[in-house]
Amino acid sequence: MTNVLLVEDDPAARQGLELALRRLGYQVRPAETGEAALDGIGQAEADVVVLDVMLPGLDGFEVCRRLRRGSDIPVIMLTARGDDFDIVGGLEAGADDYVVKPVEPRVLDARIRAVLRRQARVGSPAETHGELVIDRSSLTVTLRGREISLTPTELRLLLVLSGSARQVFSRQQLLDLVWEHDYLGDSRLVDACVQRLRAKIETDSSEPRYIQTVRGFGYRFGPV
Amino acid sequence: MRTRLIISFIVVALLAGLASAWVANLILPYFPSLGSLIRPAVISHLLGSHVPGTRRPPPGRPDPPARGTAVAFVLAAGGLLLATITGLAFAASRRVLGPVGRLAEAARRMSGGDLSVRIEPGGRDELARLVTSFNEMASDLGHKVGELQRMEAQARQFAGDVSHELRTPLTAMTAVADILHEHPDLTGDAAAAARLVRQEILHLNRLVEDLIEISRFDAGTAQLVTDDTDVATAVSGCLRARAWTGVSTDVPAGLIARLDRRRFDIIIANLVGNALRHGGPPVIMTARAEPHASGEGRLILEVRDHGPGLAETAIPHVFDRFYKADTARARSEGSGLGLAIASENAQLHGGHIEAGNHPDGGAVFTVSLPLYGDPATTGTAPQLVPAGR
Repeated sequence: MTNVLLVEDDPAARQGLELALRRLGYQVRPAETGEAALDGIGQAEADVVVLDVMLPGLDGFEVCRRLRRGSDIPVIMLTARGDDFDIVGGLEAGADDYVVKPVEPRVLDARIRAVLRRQARVGSPAETHGELVIDRSSLTVTLRGREISLTPTELRLLLVLSGSARQVFSRQQLLDLVWEHDYLGDSRLVDACVQRLRAKIETDSSEPRYIQTVRGFGYRFGPV
Repeated sequence: MRTRLIISFIVVALLAGLASAWVANLILPYFPSLGSLIRPAVISHLLGSHVPGTRRPPPGRPDPPARGTAVAFVLAAGGLLLATITGLAFAASRRVLGPVGRLAEAARRMSGGDLSVRIEPGGRDELARLVTSFNEMASDLGHKVGELQRMEAQARQFAGDVSHELRTPLTAMTAVADILHEHPDLTGDAAAAARLVRQEILHLNRLVEDLIEISRFDAGTAQLVTDDTDVATAVSGCLRARAWTGVSTDVPAGLIARLDRRRFDIIIANLVGNALRHGGPPVIMTARAEPHASGEGRLILEVRDHGPGLAETAIPHVFDRFYKADTARARSEGSGLGLAIASENAQLHGGHIEAGNHPDGGAVFTVSLPLYGDPATTGTAPQLVPAGR
C-alpha cells in the first residue's frame, strides 16, 4: 500500500483530502505543520509527500528544500493560488509536480501514480555517454565514477531523453512521457526539471553538453 | 502673442516719445527758462522751430556741418531709444508670457497623466493668482484620482483575496463530494441531493477559478508562455478534452502560430462553449492565416453558430463580466466570465476578439492574433537554483 504524507494546515482540507485519498486506497499520514512533516519523514517511510505551500512556520517551499537535502522522495505541491510565484517557487525548491486547490481526488490520484511510476525499473544494461553512465536496471547514474542522486522525476526525464539520444522532444511530449499529464501540462515543469538536472550532471549549465536546448522546440540528449 | 505684445509696446513707446516732443514744442515758448534745461538742440533742428533763449546760433540757415552732426546724433539717439524700447518690450512680454507658457506646458503634462505637476508661483498680480488656482486644482485632482485608484486597487485586491480564501474550504468540499456522490447507501432524494451538491461544488470551483484568472489580469500579473503551436492540433485537443463532438472544424494542416497553449485553449474553449450553450447548432470553427497591414501575419479564428444571433444592443457588452444578454434567463453552467477571460487572453497575445452576426444568421466571434507575436519562450525558463545537493 502506498504511504502518503499529507501536509496541510487547514483541518477541513486536511480531513477532506485524507478521506478522499483513503478511499482511493492510500495509507495517509497527516501532518499539520512543516516541522511535523520533517519529523514524520525521519520516523517512517513515506512513498510520496503531498505538501501545501501556505503553512504556518516553515512554508511549503522551505519544507521541500529541507526534504531535498536528505531525500529524493517525490513531492507534489498543493498550491492554493495556482499563481506563478507559487508554482515557480515550488519547482525551484525541488517539487516534482503540483496541483492547484481545489483539486479533484481523481486528479491527485493520477499525479501520485505518475510520480510513483517514475521509480519503476526498466531492465537494460548500463550505457555510457561521455563521462555519464546511466544504469537502467539499478537506476543509478554516475558522473566521472561518482554516483549522482536524482529525484524520480529527474531520473525519468534523463532516462526518456537519453533513451532516444539526439531525438528532439517538445516540452509537451516530455510532459506526456515523464509527468503523464494527459493534456496541456505546464511546460515550466519541464524547464525547471531540466535546470535541476543540468545543475547535477553538467559541468557548465550555461553550455550544456548532455541536455541541450533546441530553441523554439524543446530539448534533446546529446550528441555527446 | 509675444510678437504682438512687443510691437504694441514699441508703438506705444514711440507715440509717447513723439507726443511728448510735440507737447514740449508747444509749451516751451511760454517757459523760455525751461528751454535751456530740457530742450535739446536736436529737437529744434528736427522740428525746424525757432526758440528764443537757446544757446544755439541765431535763426537763419544752419551751417551744413552742424546740420550733418545733428542728423547723425538724431539717428544714433533714435537707434538707441528703439533698442532700449525693444529690450524693455521683450522683458515686459517675458514677464507676462512666461507664466502663461508655463501654465500651458503644465496643462499639457497634466492631460498627459502627470498630476504631480506644479508651477512655481511668483508676484502678486492676476497671473500669480491664476498660477495659484492652477496649483490648487492640480493638487485636488491628484488627491481625487489617487483616492479612486486606491479604491479600485483595493476592490480588485479584495476580489482576488476572496477567491483565494474560498479555495481552502472548496478543497475540503471537492475532496469529499465524490465520496458522497458515489456512496451506494444513498438512494432517492438523498442521492439526488448529493448529486446536486457535487454539481454545484464543481460549478463554484469553476467560478472561483475564473475569478482568480480575471483578478490576475486586473493585477497585471498574467504572463504569456509561448510556443510554436500547431493550430489544428490545439483545436482538436481542446474539443477532445471537453468531449465536444458536435463542432465541425476547418483548420488547415500545418498552420503554426506562436501562442501560449494554455491561454489559446481557454480562448477556444470559452468561445465554443459559449456557442454551444447560447447559440444554435451546428457550431462551425474555422482558422486561417491572413496577411496584415503591420507586415506580420495574423491568425484569424472564427466560431460561428446557427442560433438567433446577438441582439444589436448586446454586441458592445458581450465581453463585459457577468453580462447576460437576457436578464430573465436562468444561470447557465458557465461562470459568466468566459468571454471576458477569452478577450483578455487575446489581448495578452497582442490580438483581439470581435463579436457580431453572420449575414446568414447566427453569432460569429472572430479572434485575431499575431502569428508570431512574441519570441518563443522555450528553453528560456528563469534561472533556477539547484535544489538540495
